[in-house]
Amino acid sequence: MLFFRSEETVRAWCEGRGLPLRPRVTMDQLWGLASTWYSTRLQPDARRPKPDEMRSIFAGLGLTGDFWDPQADRFG
Amino acid sequence: MDFDVEVKLAVYRSFAETGRRPSPAEIAARVGSDVESVLAAYARLRAQRVLVLEPDGASIRMAPPFSGVPTQHVVESGGVSYFANCAWDALGIPAALGAPGTVRSRCEQSGTPLELAVGRDGPQPSDWLFHCLVPASRWWDDIVFT
Repeated sequence: MLFFRSEETVRAWCEGRGLPLRPRVTMDQLWGLASTWYSTRLQPDARRPKPDEMRSIFAGLGLTGDFWDPQADRFG
Repeated sequence: MDFDVEVKLAVYRSFAETGRRPSPAEIAARVGSDVESVLAAYARLRAQRVLVLEPDGASIRMAPPFSGVPTQHVVESGGVSYFANCAWDALGIPAALGAPGTVRSRCEQSGTPLELAVGRDGPQPSDWLFHCLVPASRWWDDIVFT
């Protein structure tokens, strides 16, 4: 899970390593993920999201498709 | 409170206060127990994917979003410096702390430095991107690689 300066640098990094290009996530979307996952982490009742909750979180941020499905057995 | 929850909170509060991974003895002192009991709790928390341990079963590699080892993703907040496990966790540290911070990292392709201010409501406007190679269903197959 890495940062990239631009679309071009993501593509170059993947192509240079023969790796698949995955969905690109904006900083605002990343904040949505990070804050949802971790904002209660220091509290006693904190827990990781369950699969259905993960799907809902991802969809709410516009992250859809098999790549973001925590129970998918194939990927787009 | 359940002992495992006490241990988990002690680990997370130690990371939050110091930016570094605590030893089992430090956690034992915090929860008023012994190292053996703490290590048993660590194993259960590992099974629940709350902690990631080194092969010795005693050293914390990850208490997400905190990293127990140095990484390229550094977060400064409240005068404390933290290592994050990944780009996601770099933004996760200010979120977990409930405090503003500065994320310092780099573009993995160009090496261009990233310095990103993160407030309580999110990061400053930025056109940088996040890319995750591993699909969500496989994140925990090898969470260190992910």
